[in-house]
Amino acid sequence: MSKFNFPFIKETNELLNLRKQVREFIISCLNNNEFTPSPDAWVFSADPNFSKKLGSKSWLGMSFPKEYGGHERTALERYVVTEELLSSGAPVAAHWIADRQSGSQILRYGNEKQKLSIIPRITAGECFFAIGMSEPDSGSDLASVKTKATKTKNGWKLEGRKIWSTGAHLAHYMIVLARTSPASDKNRHEGLSQFLVDLSLPNVKITGIPDMTDQRHFNETLFDDVELTNDSLLGEEGKGWKQVVGELALERSGPERFLSHFTLLDSFINEFRNSLLHNGSKIVGKLISEIQTLRRMSFSVASMIQNGESPETQAAFVKELGNKFEKMMIETLREFSNIVPLYEWPNQLQNLFEDATLRIPSNSLRGGTTEIMKGIIARQLGLR
Amino acid sequence: MIEELEIILETTSKILQKHVNHGLRQNIVSKNTDILNLWNDIEQNGLPKISVKEKFGGYEIPFFSILPLIKIINNHGTPLPLSETILSNYILSESDINPPNGIVTFATNTKNIQIENNIISGDILSVPYLNLSKNLLIIHEFKNVKQAILIDEINGEITHKKNFLAEPRYDIKVENLNIAEIKPVKNNIEFNFLGAILRSTQMIGAMEKVLDLSINYCSERKQFGRALSKFQAIQHQIADMAVELSASSAALSAITDLDLGDKNYNDIAISKIRAGAAAGKLIAISHQVHGAIGFTKEYELSYFTKNLNSWRNDFGNESFWEDFLGKRFLKKSNENLWEYLT
Repeated sequence: MSKFNFPFIKETNELLNLRKQVREFIISCLNNNEFTPSPDAWVFSADPNFSKKLGSKSWLGMSFPKEYGGHERTALERYVVTEELLSSGAPVAAHWIADRQSGSQILRYGNEKQKLSIIPRITAGECFFAIGMSEPDSGSDLASVKTKATKTKNGWKLEGRKIWSTGAHLAHYMIVLARTSPASDKNRHEGLSQFLVDLSLPNVKITGIPDMTDQRHFNETLFDDVELTNDSLLGEEGKGWKQVVGELALERSGPERFLSHFTLLDSFINEFRNSLLHNGSKIVGKLISEIQTLRRMSFSVASMIQNGESPETQAAFVKELGNKFEKMMIETLREFSNIVPLYEWPNQLQNLFEDATLRIPSNSLRGGTTEIMKGIIARQLGLR
Repeated sequence: MIEELEIILETTSKILQKHVNHGLRQNIVSKNTDILNLWNDIEQNGLPKISVKEKFGGYEIPFFSILPLIKIINNHGTPLPLSETILSNYILSESDINPPNGIVTFATNTKNIQIENNIISGDILSVPYLNLSKNLLIIHEFKNVKQAILIDEINGEITHKKNFLAEPRYDIKVENLNIAEIKPVKNNIEFNFLGAILRSTQMIGAMEKVLDLSINYCSERKQFGRALSKFQAIQHQIADMAVELSASSAALSAITDLDLGDKNYNDIAISKIRAGAAAGKLIAISHQVHGAIGFTKEYELSYFTKNLNSWRNDFGNESFWEDFLGKRFLKKSNENLWEYLT
């Protein structure tokens, strides 16, 4: 079991100070009515101006090298900033994917030109990304993607469809996983490559797909023989699978996997504090114990990332446990409505609760399903 | 000190590998020479006094630092109250009482205790391995001060023998028993908290074993023409066990501070909640994937699951600590939840 340890990482005074700075900034934004706290804000609540503001505070691309406009701070510092933003429901969706995974992916695999042209804009909060993994016929079975890139005289020709790309309608780029040569019989992970695709190119067509909460964030993106330059290949031809697996570790282990609905919990406790003290201290204790455990695990993964490790399995642990926690949280609040009936909750709290109830099924789908997470864990345990 | 501890961990593993087997666990009586031999090896290596002050002949390694040792002891399913002895001796030593040689067990709870002129009477409850121990530690408030009370010749009327557990446990009623030593407990020692840490750590050691047993069994056992481990339904259940166990370990690892002030209380509560909840899931899943063989006395799984059942109830179950944790936060009405958590 030693490979599934999550060593305890203590939060230093420096980190606590950074936390305080971010908190003060958020409070001043709230006082100026610059945003309304939103549930699932990293998916739904996009505000390019807010992203730009974070960029000017040096809170985007925090761990990126200075030569590309980054700030060379640690993954732990980035962790603290993201926690503060998520817990306050700030509108971070516009830059979220670029800052979380795409920027790191470009820094790791990109060429000099790609780095110089894109990374400084990510850190400024001016360049947004969407994820190009799933397709209409490829969800959990990612290696089965059919989007194809073929070599041309000047570069590549891309054809295919990507789906469920959150925020693609606001994004400037998408990192697209595509097949560049047929899968071999032995290894279907071969022959995949990643491409850095400018979404403003001709023959890229983005169509919104309303989700069941009636919100616009999902998209289907059609690449209808899109001409790409040679420079669009990200990393090595044929090594796309290895690259995408590393990207998923960044995607799965962060605090958004358990703080998506923290604003609901916070408002709930503020509203019913007295009543909870007499009738619900146990449920509050249960929720606290789970959040704190998750925070430790996720923080520990941030430190593994900082140390250059590839904590893909640990990320799956955090995601799986975080998804379970959020579902349990909604159920726990629901049970409390036997003490104060739901119709007597303030309207705003009712809205948050109903919103969260509707959105919660997506938690264990996006970023890899529960079944995929358990599969990854089972493989590491030697069962597959 | 870290090097010293590593040597001790290695030595302990060797001793336990040599002596402990499932047969031994089924004959936990003082006449069993194999049990005596195991204890002699343990004592010769100084393990019972690992956290005892040097002036009392111990290694003086802080109790928090030896949690990996507690884990190993219980990962091997050692059928002796070594974990209890280590904690009892630590508390005695911190209370400036020279710990006796031999096994020292403790009273998990007490009722109707009366103390007069160094004589004690009352109900001493849920004592692990009373049948092997001469020495008993009781923590009891007397003259408005929490006292560490050492009895070195226990006897009394056994009022209840718990029979659903792997380890022997007894309630006894004692009358007019001599107290060997009684001294105020050092301020920062809270028996209930230390007990909760001890049981959380023991549970993690045992859960690691339960997970390993389940993985091994499912990899070997074939049904419908393939190993159980090749069925996705089984893989996912075992993955659930690993997730629960990792979360418990992460929760426990937050307790690193030597000073058991009240700033550690939340971490201790969280550890006990997390480990207790995980134990419930591991007990259920491990038995489910083992099928009938896991339900037999002959197979070792039940030794660990029975102990998990008892440890999750000792020193406050999940509900107790959830209530404690929730109240502690809710009473601080000036702080919102996020401020409190960070």
